[in-house]
Amino acid sequence: MRTADSIGWVVRVLLRHRLRTLLLLLAVSVGVGAVIVLTSLGDSARRYVTDEFRSLGTELLIITPGKSETSGSGRPSFLGATARDLTLEDANALRRSSAIAAVVPMVVGEASMSHAGRIRQAPAVGATSGLLELRHWKLKQGKFLPKGDPERAPAVIVIGEKIRKDLFGTETAVGNFLRVGDRRFRVIGILATEGRSLGMDVDELVILPVARAMELFDISGLYRIMVEARSRDSLDRAAAESTAILRDRHQGEEDVTVIRQDAVVATFDRVLSALTYTVGGIASISLVVAGVLLMNVMLVSVSQRTAEIGLLKAIGSSRRLILTLFLLESGGLAFLGAVLGVFLGLAMNEVLGTYVPDVTLSPPLWSMIAAPTFAFLSGIIFGLMPARRAADLDPVDALAGR
Amino acid sequence: MATRDFLRLVLRSLLSHRLRGGLTALGIGIGIAAVVMLTSLGSGVQKFMVEEFSQFGTTIIAINPGRTHTSGGPAGLFGSTRPLTLEDAEALKRVPHVIGVVPFVMGNAEVEAGTRQRRTAVHGVGSDFHTVFSMNIQIGQPLPDDSGSGARPVAVLGSTLRKELFPEGPVLGQRVRVASEAYRVVGVMESKGQMLGFDFDDGIYIPTARALSLFDKRGLMEIDLFYEEGASAKEVADAAERILVARHGQADFTVTSQEDMLKVLDGIMGVLTSAVAALGGISLFVGAVGILTIMTIAVRERQGEVGLLRALGASTQQVLLLFLAEAVVLSSLGGFAGLLVGIGGAWLVHWVFPIVPVNTPWAYVFAAELLSAVIGLACGVLPALRAAALDPVVALRAE
Repeated sequence: MRTADSIGWVVRVLLRHRLRTLLLLLAVSVGVGAVIVLTSLGDSARRYVTDEFRSLGTELLIITPGKSETSGSGRPSFLGATARDLTLEDANALRRSSAIAAVVPMVVGEASMSHAGRIRQAPAVGATSGLLELRHWKLKQGKFLPKGDPERAPAVIVIGEKIRKDLFGTETAVGNFLRVGDRRFRVIGILATEGRSLGMDVDELVILPVARAMELFDISGLYRIMVEARSRDSLDRAAAESTAILRDRHQGEEDVTVIRQDAVVATFDRVLSALTYTVGGIASISLVVAGVLLMNVMLVSVSQRTAEIGLLKAIGSSRRLILTLFLLESGGLAFLGAVLGVFLGLAMNEVLGTYVPDVTLSPPLWSMIAAPTFAFLSGIIFGLMPARRAADLDPVDALAGR
Repeated sequence: MATRDFLRLVLRSLLSHRLRGGLTALGIGIGIAAVVMLTSLGSGVQKFMVEEFSQFGTTIIAINPGRTHTSGGPAGLFGSTRPLTLEDAEALKRVPHVIGVVPFVMGNAEVEAGTRQRRTAVHGVGSDFHTVFSMNIQIGQPLPDDSGSGARPVAVLGSTLRKELFPEGPVLGQRVRVASEAYRVVGVMESKGQMLGFDFDDGIYIPTARALSLFDKRGLMEIDLFYEEGASAKEVADAAERILVARHGQADFTVTSQEDMLKVLDGIMGVLTSAVAALGGISLFVGAVGILTIMTIAVRERQGEVGLLRALGASTQQVLLLFLAEAVVLSSLGGFAGLLVGIGGAWLVHWVFPIVPVNTPWAYVFAAELLSAVIGLACGVLPALRAAALDPVVALRAE
């Protein structure tokens, strides 16, 4: 039989049992589609998180007080105070290292603030002028914290858009005064709306000079020091020198933890990749189920068409041809289902994408290749047994319909 | 048709297509196995988390400084809000039903004993802390009930710290230096183990007033109230809130009852478990399509048989029931096999990786079996209706 004839024969068989064909296509495509949608979700989450971190630059080091053995709880507040705090002088001393481009000391707290009888509370960050560039935030209006000696910074404050709306309403905020705790601060800038940035809602944030924030909260130690290395290559040196400088300043004791931002990114990357593979793997169980169904239907098909096979054999078809015909049928079904599944998955992505506008849902390349391939292979493998059964039929018995 | 005949008919038609039926059941079985195994793992993790959190007892209310409404920064860490003080904690003892009050502050410092030293967690706690956190004193006694700032310099060691600092010899009455302040050891805690990566045994407990001055802090990190079993968490929390509002003039603190927290945690984990189950459900759906396909084929194949039954006087209802029963039996059998494999698989995972908690609630087992039967019913309806609607004359002629 020529190839065209074989294909024509298979197509005619598939068309004759339209309902059955449709159900099989549905089964395979649901499986493939599910794998694609789920891996898309996992992979997009991974990309979103790592991009978010990368946008801050991978040359970052984060220095926190206390040893890592006690900070393993993942809750910074558990650290509380160490015997030795990280101080503003510590932060200044870090500038000595030639590998370090910028140093931003930070404290974080909750401040209650008021203006003209309106009161609200908001997370407050004490920092220096370098924070704006470090976090890639933008200003909507006014200026950011002034440069210069952080110890002598004036009582000024930069506020988020929502804070401005809540406290000032229609009044002009920039240049006006705001009471934070028991002190007065002059508003010098408004942050541009950027939505959430790594768990911090920029709209509901206030930023004040770190020395003023430490007075306000009555604390002597920094929450953390952010250090930017000159380049990716000098990151190791920056980490080593930071540790060395702080050890010298802390009477030879290493009581700080230096975390590399790229190590954090790599951890997130690994965890979310593993999650994506797991979810994809669970979804591909459905492809095995689809394969079992395919095998079942092919077996039925072989027993229904016994006479037909007998006829083919009687007019001189080889065992090989029968095998090819049936494999073509199961493989073709699986292939068609896989293609439909890919489109189904992509369409689902579009629908889901409207719910999460921040994230573009797109499947990772490996799942676009692996899912249809796996479906096609399962079509061939599960089709093998029925095809063999058809090929091994005795032509005389088969023709008799036995 | 007698019930016995009915059953025999169903059974014979299933047995005559053993391979076909087996494969159909296998499809459902794999789906059910996936769902059961995943929910077992999910609900195991859920149970594990809730147990971890409730090992301190469920009758605890925590009060933190600062009010969280925007879940921004770590609230209550430092702040310009009025701090919670030892006097606040003292006042909270008046709340009805409250048995114990622990003013809590925590830090990290170097602890020395003789020539040995270790950097470890320092907990400033009240004398009730072991009852509140349901921890036991192994030897010695708890911290004394010294009210106010006149607390004596005594300490209770965690079991890991004891091993590190005093590997042998007596420990009670010994001196330790916490950040170069001298303390006398009066007790050692029983081992509590780790919770979510935080080691409770590696630490030292000293009176709160001492810890506050040691870390130069004005305010407490937390006040924990321990109330009588059976008292309403909400009533106690409200009473505590009233007292503190009266003292502070405003609600600049957050009250969380352990009960609420556990409920939230349980809810979140429950949603996660269902999400995981839904993943397995995809396979189940494909298995259901399998039943639909095979039953459709069966109806077409057995037109002649249906025609004969109808000619012999079987009602459309009986034919309908016949095919429905076949679908239900197939999927229930597959479901049952899947159930066994799923439970077995989950426990196998637990056996190979003992850290993975596994829990198979009986409700899930019944639900899974019921689900497979319902799937059979739902997928059998369409083909069965088609069989029942066959015209007996036409059907007979097809033979």
